[in-house]
Amino acid sequence: MPEAMHDRGRFWTPAPDWRAASLEGEGWRARRIHGLGQTLVSGDLDAARAALAPGAGEVGLWGVAGEGAGDGAYAARIARDRALLVTPSPLAAAPGWRDGFAVSPCDDLYAAVEISGPAMPQLVAEGTAADLEAGSRSAAVLFSGVSCLLYRAGPERARLHVESPFAAYIWTWLHGCVGRAPNRGATLQGA
Amino acid sequence: MQLFSCPFCGPRDETEFLFGAEAGKRRPEPAAEVSARAWGEHLHFAGNPKGPAREIWLHLTCGEFFAMERDTVSHAVSATRALRGGGQ
Ligand SMILES: [Zn+2]
Repeated sequence: MPEAMHDRGRFWTPAPDWRAASLEGEGWRARRIHGLGQTLVSGDLDAARAALAPGAGEVGLWGVAGEGAGDGAYAARIARDRALLVTPSPLAAAPGWRDGFAVSPCDDLYAAVEISGPAMPQLVAEGTAADLEAGSRSAAVLFSGVSCLLYRAGPERARLHVESPFAAYIWTWLHGCVGRAPNRGATLQGA
Repeated sequence: MQLFSCPFCGPRDETEFLFGAEAGKRRPEPAAEVSARAWGEHLHFAGNPKGPAREIWLHLTCGEFFAMERDTVSHAVSATRALRGGGQ
């Protein structure tokens, strides 16, 4: 019987089973983090943090999140007037305008991928042209060609927030790094 | 590869940036009195200077529009400036 329609399902990168997905490379491993609360805030970021996650610190590119109070909550800075508030579980904050800031709950907008291990810095450096050790106030950066938020949750733990539709692509990119040592040419300056 | 410096983020790879327009180019107003010719020139004609230029660029990852002064021959960037107050 002739196909009535093309099956485009095979055209797209197959999505892994995210619950079980993990990658193991030489000196690094990657997994997806589930259950985080993610809330976009715009405008007066200090007021937004005080109202939604008192004590939450702020993190930029390659900075280490969670160094401070805030019960594990932190704000990954995106722009001058925009940040992604990351909390251990969804905040269920009411969307809309408040006093000086706007709130957009977006728990599923980004997929969070954690890459850890001693070779993590070299692997991550392969994905971006940014000078990680120099840092940047914004955690938003092009990683393997797509816009991501990149920071660390510990010295050897990087976190990437990538828009969910790109999660399978990023995973494929990481999968391509399995089975070989991270490129020495990508070694961080001073590392 | 070239680095541009976003006034907010600092130096980033050129692939993160998008050219917006020549700086100082104002939309002719009021719309009802703008001739088709003037509107066409606004849309399609550019100064395209050879040498020092002042342009508006966008940093795609953070969304900041800013002014960049650069040389269109040597590609050297002499300054980037935020378009709004604060500059923090
Ligand atoms: Zn920027």
